[in-house]
This record gives sequence, structure tokens and C-alpha cells, in this order.
Amino acid sequence: MNNPISLGLGEQAISRDPQDVLVAYGLGSCLGISIIDPVTRITGLIHAVLPEKMNGLGETDSAACYKYVDQGIENLLAAMTKEGANKNRLVVRMVGGANMLIATGLTSTFDIGTRNIEKAHATFQRLNIKIAAEEVGGHTGRTVRVYVADSRVTVRVIGEKEHEI
Amino acid sequence: MENIAQFDQDLMEKLATIAGEGIKNAAIGFSGMVGRKIEVSSPRLELIPLLMIPKIVGGLEDDAVGVYLRFEGDMHGQIMMIIPHHKALELTDMLMDVENGTTQHLGSLERSALGELGNLCSSFFLNSIAKTVGASLRPSPPAVMVDMVGAILDIVVATAGGVNEHVLLVHANFMDGPRCVETDFWVIPDLKALNILLNKKPGV
Repeated sequence: MNNPISLGLGEQAISRDPQDVLVAYGLGSCLGISIIDPVTRITGLIHAVLPEKMNGLGETDSAACYKYVDQGIENLLAAMTKEGANKNRLVVRMVGGANMLIATGLTSTFDIGTRNIEKAHATFQRLNIKIAAEEVGGHTGRTVRVYVADSRVTVRVIGEKEHEI
Repeated sequence: MENIAQFDQDLMEKLATIAGEGIKNAAIGFSGMVGRKIEVSSPRLELIPLLMIPKIVGGLEDDAVGVYLRFEGDMHGQIMMIIPHHKALELTDMLMDVENGTTQHLGSLERSALGELGNLCSSFFLNSIAKTVGASLRPSPPAVMVDMVGAILDIVVATAGGVNEHVLLVHANFMDGPRCVETDFWVIPDLKALNILLNKKPGV
């Protein structure tokens, strides 16, 4: 039986238990970033909310923070490496970053989704890690599931069945 | 320079009074739109830590309808009204004055009607607040979305994130005879707006 582990906003999960399925439900502008080491099967997922920390605002406990895309990615990598994952064989997949507001005049100001995606691309580029697959942007919410057993990552949008990316 | 307002007991009591009046006023707007008297339960006001929003709401993958608008003027902020999808269908039946269960799908006409309702309720809500504190407020046109609850809530979280650590939830039930529609209003005032609310006593 699958054991779903649900991630709230700004949370992370790491597992190597084949029973586990890491899930982030209803991602809008948030990003679900999955990193998997296929050899050790160490599987990680973060549910990041905002691209980066604003000056002087937010939490001080940076090592435990997964709210921001840049810091979240780095913290997840550090935590996974500590568990024994090898940086050179990591498979990264990314879901979310939608622009949920499509009304005229409201769109551009608050397009956090696009900013989250851009920040993730920049962060992985800086770390010299390729993104294997992504289903990002657009205007719909998505649920992402990461199956530890076979390293599958699936996406589900409203009114549709889940599909693999 | 003014001190940054904190959500203390005093502010919450004032906000509860102001929001209560606002919701009553929203029901008047609602009644005017459907041409029948719509009652409203006393709203419940909660202060929610930003990252806890989805945990409190639950059912993040469920379908829902969100009506979002911003307001500007003497105070800035945002309002998001969230209605569960099946309740939105019932609400559309009410708005269109058709038998319960008629609306099965939310097309552009239905979305437009719900957007108008959200706009009306939010505007009446804002008018009441503006009147109470003597401020001038201008709401933006509404944006309507049908999607997963979590994705709609992301808008609230993302726009408040980095600035506010807490948001206000006003939970109200609109009743048309035996029919009842539970509605969540998420109100995200900016810090300046909170200062205005804190410094002006209701009714002054």
C-alpha cells in the first residue's frame, strides 16, 4: 500500500522507503521541486512558495527554511547529500508556478508563479544541475506526486487523471 | 513614523466589529442582486498564520471557485472569496432563479454571474469598512477562477507572503430559506491599512 506524505507550504520531505509517495496538493503559483538520486533511491520534494527572501523580512532559521525557491533547493540538496545522495546523478523535476490571476490589470504585478520558475532555473544553473523535466506555468493548479518506489513523478490537474512527467 | 500595527486583542475586537458590519452589508448587496432577502450568519473572524492557511482549509485538491479583487485608496489590500464548487453550482441556481440542481457546469455566463456576486459582496463589505473608518477605497474589477482549493489559496499566500505573516479569515454563511452557502473571505490588509483600522475607533 502507498503511504502518502503530504507537504504543506514551505515544507520538505526526504524518503527512501518504497512505500512512500510524497505529495504536494493543489499547487498554484507555488513550485513542487522533486530531486531524486536513482541509485540510492533517496527522494526529496519541496513545496516552495516565493522566489526569494525579501530584505529584512521572513525567518531567521535559514537551514530549516523551504519557503523560498533558492534557499529551499540548496537546503534540500544539502539534506539529501547528507543522507548519501550523489550530486552528479540527481534527477530534478519541477511542477507548478502557474499564474492564477488572468484578469487584466492584476496579472503582471503578482505573477509570483513565473518568478518562482525563473528563480528555480537560475538556481539550478548556478549549481550546475540540469532539470530533467518540468510541467510549469500556465493558469491551472496542479497536484504533484513523487513515488519513491519507482522514481515516478506525476501531475494531476482539475478534471483530469494523473499523468507522468 | 507610525508603529507597525500588530494583531493584538484590541485590533482583533475592532476588526470583528468592522467585519461583522461589512458582512451584514454584503448580505444586503446579495439580496439586491437575487431579489430576495438573503440572511447572513454572524461571521467568524480568525487570524491565520500565512503558511497554515492550507492546513486549516483542507481539501486542497477539491474544486472550488475563487473571486479575487484588490482595493486601493486610503487603504490597500486584497480580498479573496472562496466557495466550494458544489456550493457555487447551487449559488448559480439561486442567482439565475432556476430549480436547485439545474446548473451542472460553470461556463462563462455562470462565472460572470459569480464574479458579479463576489464583486458586489466584496464592494459592500469594503464600503462598510470605508464608512466606519472614514476612508476612501476603490476596488478593482473581480477575477474569477475555478480550480483546486490549494491553487486558489496560493494567490492569497503569494501576494501576502514576505510582507504579512498573518491573514484574516472571515467565515460567513449566506442563507436563502433552507439553502445555505458557506463562504470564506480572506482579507489581506496592508500594514498601513491595519494602522488606520487600529487608530480609528468604529463609528468615529
